[in-house]
Amino acid sequence: MRHVFISLLLVVTALQGTLASAASLTAEFVDAQGKPLPDAVLTLRGATAPPAGPMKADMDQRDVQFAPHVLAVRSGTEISFPNSDQIRHQVYSFSTPKRFELRLYGGTPSAPVLFDKPGVVVLGCNVHDNMIGYVYVTDDGWFGVSNDKGALTLDQVPAGHYAVTLWHPQGADMLPVSGGDIDIPAGGLKQRFTIAVQPNADNTPAAPTPSAFGDAFHKAAHE
Amino acid sequence: MKVRISFQARIAGVLIMLLLIVVFAVFIAVRAATQDAVRKQAQAQLEVGTRVFEGLLEMRGKRLRDAVQLLSTDFGFRDAVASADSATIRSVLLNHGARINANDMFLLGMDGTVMASTVAQIPEGSPFPYTQALRELKGKNQSMLIVPLQGQPHLLVESTVLAPLPIARVVMGFSMDGDLAQELRSLSGLQVSFLSIVQKQPGQMISTQPAPLFDSLRGVMMNPPSDEMQMTEHQNQSFLSKTLRLGSNSDSEVVALLQSPLDQAMQAFAPLDKTLFWITVVALACSLVGALLLARNLSRPVSALAQAARRIGEGDYATPVVLDRRDELGLLASAINSMQSGIAERELQLAHNALHDPLTGLPNRALVMERLGSAVIAQRPVALLYLGIDNFRAISTNVGLEGVEQLLRIISEQLQEPLRPGDTVARLSDNEFLLLVHNAETDSAVAVADRLQRLLVKPQRIGEQDIAMDACIGIAAYPANGDSASELLRRASIARQDAAQLPGRLQVYVDGRDVAHLRQISLIRDLRQAARNGELSLHYQPKLDIRNGRVTQAEALLRWQHPQFGSVSPAEFIVLAERTGSIQILTNWVIEEALRQLAEWAYRGLVLQVSVNISADDLLDGNLADRVAALLKLYRVPAEQLIFEITESAIMREPEQSLKVLNRLREFGISLSVDDFGTGYSSLAHLKRLPVQELKIDQSFVRDLDETSEDAVIVRSTIEMSHNLGLKVVAEGVEYEHSLRLLERWHCDTAQGYLISRPLDAIAFEAWIARSQLPPRMTVY
Repeated sequence: MRHVFISLLLVVTALQGTLASAASLTAEFVDAQGKPLPDAVLTLRGATAPPAGPMKADMDQRDVQFAPHVLAVRSGTEISFPNSDQIRHQVYSFSTPKRFELRLYGGTPSAPVLFDKPGVVVLGCNVHDNMIGYVYVTDDGWFGVSNDKGALTLDQVPAGHYAVTLWHPQGADMLPVSGGDIDIPAGGLKQRFTIAVQPNADNTPAAPTPSAFGDAFHKAAHE
Repeated sequence: MKVRISFQARIAGVLIMLLLIVVFAVFIAVRAATQDAVRKQAQAQLEVGTRVFEGLLEMRGKRLRDAVQLLSTDFGFRDAVASADSATIRSVLLNHGARINANDMFLLGMDGTVMASTVAQIPEGSPFPYTQALRELKGKNQSMLIVPLQGQPHLLVESTVLAPLPIARVVMGFSMDGDLAQELRSLSGLQVSFLSIVQKQPGQMISTQPAPLFDSLRGVMMNPPSDEMQMTEHQNQSFLSKTLRLGSNSDSEVVALLQSPLDQAMQAFAPLDKTLFWITVVALACSLVGALLLARNLSRPVSALAQAARRIGEGDYATPVVLDRRDELGLLASAINSMQSGIAERELQLAHNALHDPLTGLPNRALVMERLGSAVIAQRPVALLYLGIDNFRAISTNVGLEGVEQLLRIISEQLQEPLRPGDTVARLSDNEFLLLVHNAETDSAVAVADRLQRLLVKPQRIGEQDIAMDACIGIAAYPANGDSASELLRRASIARQDAAQLPGRLQVYVDGRDVAHLRQISLIRDLRQAARNGELSLHYQPKLDIRNGRVTQAEALLRWQHPQFGSVSPAEFIVLAERTGSIQILTNWVIEEALRQLAEWAYRGLVLQVSVNISADDLLDGNLADRVAALLKLYRVPAEQLIFEITESAIMREPEQSLKVLNRLREFGISLSVDDFGTGYSSLAHLKRLPVQELKIDQSFVRDLDETSEDAVIVRSTIEMSHNLGLKVVAEGVEYEHSLRLLERWHCDTAQGYLISRPLDAIAFEAWIARSQLPPRMTVY
């Protein structure tokens, strides 16, 4: 998570350098029930060109989990998959925007993976089925992922009119939804977004439960 | 024999029947127990088997699901599925399905659309028919679905293809074929059948049962009962069956039939039936033999006992029943033996009693008659001595019953003294004995009788008294006096009766005496009717008053004109009447007739004194005086016209009683006369105490009276003494003139006899009186 901030900071400092009239967007994500929604992705597409910057990011693996769980990158970003665990992982994705496979490895692989097409890339580990991570690849200039409290702050966003796109791993069919258009004034904007999410059902496959076929069967036979 | 056999048969029958009942009951019980056991065992087997079956099926489902899950995580498979190339996907499905021996493979989209299929019925692009059921599996926490597919039940397992998020679901089907059924059968021990039913149409039958049963099985499976377990029969084979619905849809279902064969289990008990049968056969044979032995053991002694009883019944008391047993039958045998000896003893006693006199132990009439009879049959000469104790009654009143018994015993001993061995002394009645002397003629019998009389006449000391017996003996001898036992006895008895009349008290039977005896019997019989039949009449003998030569008295004498024997002497029938007790009837008749005659004569002016004979029995009759008084009154005859003549011996029999009667008669005015004076033992001293007025000297003294004879002294002194006592004297039996002269000289008062007149009937008497009275003394002198 620290890395995310660091990379965000890098992006933000880069933007501050180029734009004088930079404003900030403070977004707050909740689900339909009004609970704070972490891991929500927000992208803004405006008239101004997005700031250029280094197109690199890290998707760490620690405690047999992808960290961060959701990573938003701009198209063309090279993502490195360092392995912080003592065990090896085999990271792969069959997602259409980027199919790749990193053979079983430990430490940091030699080459980063280029994510050049926008879309959702679901990451998995071939040897650890419950390791799931998401890389949200977007062409939009500004984007961010909500923190644990469901809050997201985008600094150095030029004041102006933007089309908002929202995405969440548990969103319907895992498709991005439109968050509407917003006008960000120079003094910044504080906006609340609601994303309908499905219960965390299919996303994390659990270990196979012991079958109770016989029990149920027996019960049925006796009824 | 018949009884014995049936007895044996009955015992055997009962035993065998009991055994059969027991065996049958045991058989039923065993049968019920085994059937129950088999049923329970089958139930248990079915229950256990069902659980095993379910467990196996579940295990199989889990294994398949795990296999499918493993397959679905295969990287290459996921890679291929992710490629979304249906041909590739199908080839991969076939390839990977083959790895786990799946029969059908489907790849479904997350929305349930078939993405790839190996089953033509479910083409790609169509919605998978079991999507909903599969989705529900998760809710039920089940791992597999059983569905009919292509007419066969199939196991469907599903797994999600993760990439890494679920992108598709792979469904694999495994047909539940015969191999599975066999496997389940081998593990559960039950017959396993599967049947898929689609729209009420049965699919292919999969079963471990033989094919011929399929139709029947199908019937059960098509209409599964609600019961958990049921008995089913398929071609005469019994099963305990349980139907399970493995999977059911609205219009399709898969049914499993689990069956525990009962017949097979029952067959396990078949040897038991066989054993039971042989046990029964052996037991029956043993019990038959045992029953026969027992029955024989029982019936043989029983028949021996029966034979013994029959022997005893026939009178054989000598042969004892021999039964060497210690049980009840042995007891019975010894009881029978003791009974036998008891009976023998008592029978001897009875026989002895029947043939002997209980008091003296002498043979009785029956025995002596038998011995006499046998002597007669053997034509052995034998003499009968019929002995009677005449004064027995007097003795018995003197010495009492005990004395009599003692006396009889003495007599019985004495009677045997003169006899030889083989002779018999028998007691016939109280005072009569019969002696049987063999090989004796009349003469030697008389000698024996004489000896007996001499023995018996010796006085015997009984208590305080000396008793002399007056024994009279009648003798009859065979063959001289008869040729049958009864005749001999009768004639001996007649001789004895005759002897009683004789001073020697001994009489040998005289030929013809039995005819006289018969006459006596007839007389005794007819005497009772004589008065009624008018056979009796009174004759009157005049009594002459010697002093004045007039006849004013007569003695009434009874005459009997018997229709058969003619005139019967009073000497004959009066004795009989006295002996039989009918004398009173005669006396009454005589008195009444005499009174009637007196009354008749008085009517014609003839007044006489008539004397009537009164017997000893009459004096014992207390009513005599009253009766006479009544008659006197009836015929209006003065008592003075009546004289009663009584013999001395009659008065002396019962002096007290007689005196009473005589006194009363005298009170009426009847004169009393002592008849036959001089024949008895009494003396004149006696006479003075009696209320008599007259004395009649017995004719034996008077008949041949002459001056020089002893009789003259007696008569004369009697007359004088009588006169001194104030008594008149009548002389009876005056037949000669000189006798009358003597009497007259001795001052005898009255004379009676043929000299004066024989007894005359009433008419003749009346005529005689008339003649004699006209010239009073002419006829007499």
